[in-house]
Amino acid sequence: MSEHVMLFVGPMGAGKTTAIRALSEIDVVSTEAANSDQAASAKATTTVALDYGEISVNEAEKIRLYGVPGQKRFDFMWSILAERAEGVILLVNADAENPVETAIDYVKEFFSIYERGGIVIGLTRADLVPQALIEEYANALADEMPDVLIPVFTVDARSTSDMTVLLMTLVANVELKQAVAPAIARRGK
Amino acid sequence: MTLEIHLDAKYISRGELALGGLRSLAPSLRYASLLTEDGFSVVNVDGDEFDSNRFASMASSTQALADAVARELQLGDNEFVIVAAEHGHVVQVRVEGHPLVLAALFTDKDTIGRSLTAARRTARRLTTLLVAP
Repeated sequence: MSEHVMLFVGPMGAGKTTAIRALSEIDVVSTEAANSDQAASAKATTTVALDYGEISVNEAEKIRLYGVPGQKRFDFMWSILAERAEGVILLVNADAENPVETAIDYVKEFFSIYERGGIVIGLTRADLVPQALIEEYANALADEMPDVLIPVFTVDARSTSDMTVLLMTLVANVELKQAVAPAIARRGK
Repeated sequence: MTLEIHLDAKYISRGELALGGLRSLAPSLRYASLLTEDGFSVVNVDGDEFDSNRFASMASSTQALADAVARELQLGDNEFVIVAAEHGHVVQVRVEGHPLVLAALFTDKDTIGRSLTAARRTARRLTTLLVAP
């Protein structure tokens, strides 16, 4: 059976744990602790190590889903979990402060995974802001990184169908990149 | 508005008292930190060479992962965590009744058993200290 390892990243409260729970076919392994930083987010608990779930694409393919803590102080977990990851689902809460800049910062942080696999962006809580234009994010990314192609969707992290679309888009991007990589390498010689 | 635990003078002063006592109990103590379970350093003693915020974050993750293993294997509540390395060991215990973890680094001059006893005693003492208003 072939396996993919996909990472869920993004700021605290973006819906990473919720998204993995929406997708996983197994009981999700969570590492939540009481959230004492109510100024950063009003939620009761926060992930401090990882979330882990699994989903089968078909009989021959399984995807391991890892969620990282959102806070920068846990960035050692980002590095540990990024080592094996082939793709990144970046969730950004559209109603947070400076969500476009946040999205770009995270893309830069995990850019090495983009280079070997792919990144997709899911904007959560987009219904809570007057305008969460996908074009705004796409244009900002194009300005900052002109040669980078990153799909952007609005999603509900609780929705299995929304998250499946996002995940399968990422898997398709990763498989396409892996399929054309040998040809690109040959041309480069 | 509730004051965050790691900024709360009561937790800081009683944490300092408890960690000071740990130093007396275990001369091989190299560094100790009282941290919130979500990884904020409340108070720490010794070990100026360590980044207290990073240590607190890592101790928080380690504690949560160990708790998850115990839960996954249906072993009941996780009582403590030990990281034993070549030149020392880290012992972590929860502070009963509070979202706090005591994490202490000891040199290899003492046994893990003695370090564990000292850490558990300190965590219990802190629970008692925090009962008083």
